[in-house]
Amino acid sequence: MGEPGPVAAGVSVEMVAAGVFVWREGDRVETFHCVRDGGIIHLFWRGTAYRIEEDEARARAAHRSVSGALEAPMPGRVIAVRVARGQSVTKGQELLVVEAMKMENALRAPRDGVVRSVAARPGDMVSPGLVLVELE
Amino acid sequence: MFGKVLIANRGEIAVRVARTCRVMGLPTVAVYSEADRGALHTREADEAVLIGPAEAARSYLDVEALLAAARRTGADAVHPGYGFLSQSGDFAEAVGRAGLTFIGPPAAVHRKMGDKQAARRLMAAAGVPVVPGYDGDEQVDGTLLAAAGAIGWPVILKPSRGGGGKGMRVVRRAEDFASALAASRREARAAFGDDRMVLERYVEKPRHVEVQVLGDADGHLVHLNERECSIQRRHQKVVEETPSPALTAERRAALCAAGVAAARAADYVNAGTVEFLLAPDGAFYFLEVNTRLQVEHPVTEAVTGLDLVRLQIQIAAGDPLPFGQEGVRAQGHALECRLYAEDPDHDDRPAPGRILHHAAPEGPGIRFDSGVATGSDVTVHYDPLLAKLVARGGDRDEAVQRMRAALRRTVVLGVTTNLARLQAIVDHPAFAAGDLHTGFIEEHLAGRATAADPPPEAVAAARAAVRLSRAAGGSAEIAADPWESLGPWRLA
Repeated sequence: MGEPGPVAAGVSVEMVAAGVFVWREGDRVETFHCVRDGGIIHLFWRGTAYRIEEDEARARAAHRSVSGALEAPMPGRVIAVRVARGQSVTKGQELLVVEAMKMENALRAPRDGVVRSVAARPGDMVSPGLVLVELE
Repeated sequence: MFGKVLIANRGEIAVRVARTCRVMGLPTVAVYSEADRGALHTREADEAVLIGPAEAARSYLDVEALLAAARRTGADAVHPGYGFLSQSGDFAEAVGRAGLTFIGPPAAVHRKMGDKQAARRLMAAAGVPVVPGYDGDEQVDGTLLAAAGAIGWPVILKPSRGGGGKGMRVVRRAEDFASALAASRREARAAFGDDRMVLERYVEKPRHVEVQVLGDADGHLVHLNERECSIQRRHQKVVEETPSPALTAERRAALCAAGVAAARAADYVNAGTVEFLLAPDGAFYFLEVNTRLQVEHPVTEAVTGLDLVRLQIQIAAGDPLPFGQEGVRAQGHALECRLYAEDPDHDDRPAPGRILHHAAPEGPGIRFDSGVATGSDVTVHYDPLLAKLVARGGDRDEAVQRMRAALRRTVVLGVTTNLARLQAIVDHPAFAAGDLHTGFIEEHLAGRATAADPPPEAVAAARAAVRLSRAAGGSAEIAADPWESLGPWRLA
């Protein structure tokens, strides 16, 4: 059922039955379960049930800023790095761009600051949770 | 044998009883309340009869409604399951008066065991160990202190009339007895208007063990070994197993012999369970007799290969037990986890809702007894038990491994469940070590949040799944999804 859909470079998700999906990443396959009820997404992923508010999912899929560390929101490829170490940035400034699901996602500075480190170069494949840019 | 069996229950146990009846070629009648229209148990039976409104007192506890349903459908036997009317002597009697057979012990057994004080005295007289105690009328300080010394420290003071923990005090030394007694009396007087006290030996870190017994109408009695049910929350069992990891072969034999002695004292017929408290020093004390099939009976079935519901039906039909004690063989180890619709992060409060998606775990040694399916409504009217997951292994380690893996593949979406709590219990080193007691959850897991934030990868998966569901389902509600058109993503 359903055509496989790309999620990120090298990752696709396929629907195999109502509520049942397969995540494929290279040769790695994983079954997960997901249903949606109004504004709530119910997900069973690696042995754990999650309840995700759609607003929250949107926020999470956007850049995450924890104490100045900007992480990759999902698996993807870095296509542009706009800043360098030591550079001053202002809140909202585009720091780098990650392509995933055939879409571009700009990671923006969550606040004013100075770039402490940049851990990505154009062309790099990145995984969720990987810290790409750190602010002082 | 019977012509048709009415199952006076709901949920997983009604489903489970119907399945054995089907195997035996016995037609079944399910009953349901207005809240249970279309429930799984009504689909597993051959007929289903509406017996009343959601409120249990006017449906599953309504004897007249149940008997009317039996008359209407021509059922000649009633299986009560557990809970509801399963331990009611009045119901057992009413079923018999209506010319039907009650699949369970006779009314007299229910009544005898339903009076806890009388049951305790009967067991003590039969030589079954009861918690040492004093419940005499002589209440002067010196008599009570002497009684406490004879019982052995620590003792617990309990108001004769009362409950809810009021006026109860644990006393560890003779020096502290007088002041504790005065305080307990004051509280008991204020709360219950009566300051008479009962004394009992206080068992610390007790384990809960129980013996499964079976008796036929000819007085033959056997036991099917013990179960340990120490993992509890609010005095309700959560994880059970057999055999108990706490017992040596010698203690097991003594416990099971006591279980049979208790059943004999009660003139027990059909399946029943004798519950005991097991102290850390290996001493065990009679608690009570459950005059019905237990929720956790599948662990016994898993290691003995027996079908307890089938045996209940055969015994009720007047058949003799098909085996003696030497014919009972237990092999391996089995665990059961109870999956509840409840929130472990909020005092285990029930979590009603609709089950939007349900997938059962499978695998070697796995049994899943569920009362729900995708689309089932979990209402506030009844017990929040959804399903029971049973794992059998050649030994305890293998059973634990299988349980761990199966818990990671038990999918219930739409209602909050205790799945993460069950995983935390079974994953705990103290559980793996078999180091259990009735305060296990409070000691090891209290205050530990089970709900976690999804990792980013999971969120990505969820987003992709929702997108695919929209493409495949094409429902208008989803097509109008603002989630897909908003957000930080833009087309390249």
